[in-house]
Amino acid sequence: MSSKKTENALLNQLRNGRLTRRQFLINMMAAGLAAGGVKVLSPASGFGGLAFAQEGRPLTPTFYEWIVSIHPLIKDEVDAKFPGGVNSQIAPVEGFDVARFVAEAKMGQSTWDVYVGMTPFVEMAGLVKAGVIEPWDPYIPKEVLDDLIPSIREECTVDGKLYSWPFLIDVIVQAWNNSITSKAGIEDKAPANWDEYLANSKQVVDSGAAPYGCTFDAHGWRSLAPITHSISTNCYYMLEGDPSGVPLYDFTSEPALQALEIMKRMLELSSANALQPGTTDGGVNLTPDEVAFGAQRVAYYVKYQNAPLRYARKWPDPSALRLAALPSGGEGATVFWTTGACLFKYGQNKEKAVEYMKALTYNMAIWKDSISGVPSGHHPGQLPPFQSIWDQMKKENPDWLQANPWAFLVLDQLKVAKAIPNHKYGLQQFIIGQPYWEKYLTGEEPDPKKAMQEAKDAVVAEMKKVGDL
Amino acid sequence: MASTAISKPIAHRRSRLYGLRDGVNWLYVLPALFFFCMYMLYPIIEVIVISFTDYKFLSSEPMRFTGLTNFINALQDPLVHKGLLRALYFTSIFLPGVIFIPLFVAILVDRVTNPALASLYRVILLIPAVIPGPMIFVLWRWMYDFEVGPINTILVNYLNLFTYRNAPQWLGNSPLTIPAIAFVEWWWGLGYHTMFFLAGLAAIPKELFEAAKVDGANEWQMFWNVTLPRLRPIFVVLVVLRFGTAMAVIDEYIIMGGFNRALPTYTWTVYMWHLAFNIGNWFQGYAAAIGWIGAAAMLVVVGLLFYVFRDRD
Repeated sequence: MSSKKTENALLNQLRNGRLTRRQFLINMMAAGLAAGGVKVLSPASGFGGLAFAQEGRPLTPTFYEWIVSIHPLIKDEVDAKFPGGVNSQIAPVEGFDVARFVAEAKMGQSTWDVYVGMTPFVEMAGLVKAGVIEPWDPYIPKEVLDDLIPSIREECTVDGKLYSWPFLIDVIVQAWNNSITSKAGIEDKAPANWDEYLANSKQVVDSGAAPYGCTFDAHGWRSLAPITHSISTNCYYMLEGDPSGVPLYDFTSEPALQALEIMKRMLELSSANALQPGTTDGGVNLTPDEVAFGAQRVAYYVKYQNAPLRYARKWPDPSALRLAALPSGGEGATVFWTTGACLFKYGQNKEKAVEYMKALTYNMAIWKDSISGVPSGHHPGQLPPFQSIWDQMKKENPDWLQANPWAFLVLDQLKVAKAIPNHKYGLQQFIIGQPYWEKYLTGEEPDPKKAMQEAKDAVVAEMKKVGDL
Repeated sequence: MASTAISKPIAHRRSRLYGLRDGVNWLYVLPALFFFCMYMLYPIIEVIVISFTDYKFLSSEPMRFTGLTNFINALQDPLVHKGLLRALYFTSIFLPGVIFIPLFVAILVDRVTNPALASLYRVILLIPAVIPGPMIFVLWRWMYDFEVGPINTILVNYLNLFTYRNAPQWLGNSPLTIPAIAFVEWWWGLGYHTMFFLAGLAAIPKELFEAAKVDGANEWQMFWNVTLPRLRPIFVVLVVLRFGTAMAVIDEYIIMGGFNRALPTYTWTVYMWHLAFNIGNWFQGYAAAIGWIGAAAMLVVVGLLFYVFRDRD
């Protein structure tokens, strides 16, 4: 490599924050370019300011607010002890709105170094496409990369590169309130299939043990897709002319149609407002199913594991909560996703960001709180994405883990679970399609095939309208 | 004499112009001018420009001029039509309530002769107005909650008028949604709008009422012939201001209804936001065109309102 090329390569690494000013100078000296290095870093070069800024600013991660609020140890345990200090902030992303990140990237800058709160199938493809984030691969240690549970690593990867450093896992499971089911005379075991699930739910209603037998979250990625996966994960298709090369959910596939039928039967045993939106994050969170389950008005529930855990804490007898794999519709799979961290392309402190994420995601105190509940009373119910942490927990098998057997149950689901592909429309396809498949659920459209075809067509029409096809 | 008479105003105007040309005077205007240009003029121009392009926020490709394509497509977009109609429906419920209820309350409060009591009523009325918007919406989301909200709890558990199978659904995909949100807005703005009318009532000379009484007018005739015509400027301000805000409501809809397109809360403003910040590559050129179509529709109605409320004296 010529000296000019070496200087340029090092300069790029310095500009991208991969090298500190000190490392840059050492490398330049090693390459016999010490004078050039000093010249580049002199204030007159115009580059010195950037270099100084890199060393002058502490690591600046920004979090989606809910993560910090349910994990108080992030502040007390990780941030407080991180060498050199951390300027942790709350991200301006209410309702998954990442506009600020994109706007800054367009100007070649970033207020923050890392964003902890990205869900791959929700916003990762957009952030990659807009050049807001860069892969972790050049920085992440190999042992950390190899430690990722394979299905999670696959979910966080685009074009062979890891864009999300996973932190928290959500897996769609079934939960039930044993106080209600035992009152209804139902044996304390998980319904093995959907017919049994619906029969038990009906028994709950008929016996008067609770007003509703079962409930679900109306958002497609939390109900339609997981129930479909329980039947078959062969429910995605490549749309002709779609340049992304990533499959979309096939609303008209056989498993999707069967899932819709199951949802219709569930709705008859659910609260009358089960299809209504939630109260926070643009209707996405604090949904009616959560309210009904928390208020002990319903026995069976389909949702990601931490929702029933959180709401059962408010029951007079939280030990009545049971969790299990989704009832099988054939394949017995489900949906999972992680919430992780992305690395801003124009951020700084890249090496520090790696150290911080390692400190954050490998912190056993956080995982203990997450699995067993925090002293203040709430239950984060999140799980670690690294195999070595699970191995360690299995080996040590502490009391708090034994008291929460659901953790391993959810982990086991990852072996069969499948993430929704990281398409730009990964989440939006379900929002766009919802009004159409709901027509069948509400009885407005008697033909499920027609309702689902309309949902599929609406997604394609939207992509055409906005020029994405 | 004549020449002197003409030259005086000219000289006065010239001196005023010289005064404005004086750099020091311009300095006083600069901050306001700066904020007007940066926070109003520039964004407006920017949105006009991108509405004629294929500008996509997440795309790295340079934007291209597409002429009227976005406007033509938006005018043919059923979601734009539906969105505008939904907003108009909300406005038609919201606007009468936000005018006539505060007017009625203002007339009642104006009649209170005890100064301490009158002040107390004013303070009580203003309490909702000082609560931040998001808190109001969260509060009313809870009030309207199907399962645990106090309204349904009273209707089902105490009055036994409904069961939880047929209890009213105040929000979501329900015909009650828009009236329910309009009611929140009435409640929230009651004190604020009442103050407008109280100010208007205070400005009406008492002699007019005394003269009307002498002429034998009853209360209704005094209200109709004295009070109402004198409050016309307040009506104009409130109707025009609140029409604009009602048609452009977005926060309430997103908080109360999210992005489900089947819901009555998915209006043209929510659609615009959804396109600009959520869908695909964030086609902001198209979203901007929808914004201009909405703004144009509103301007037409505002023009009509000014015509209706024109001064007929």
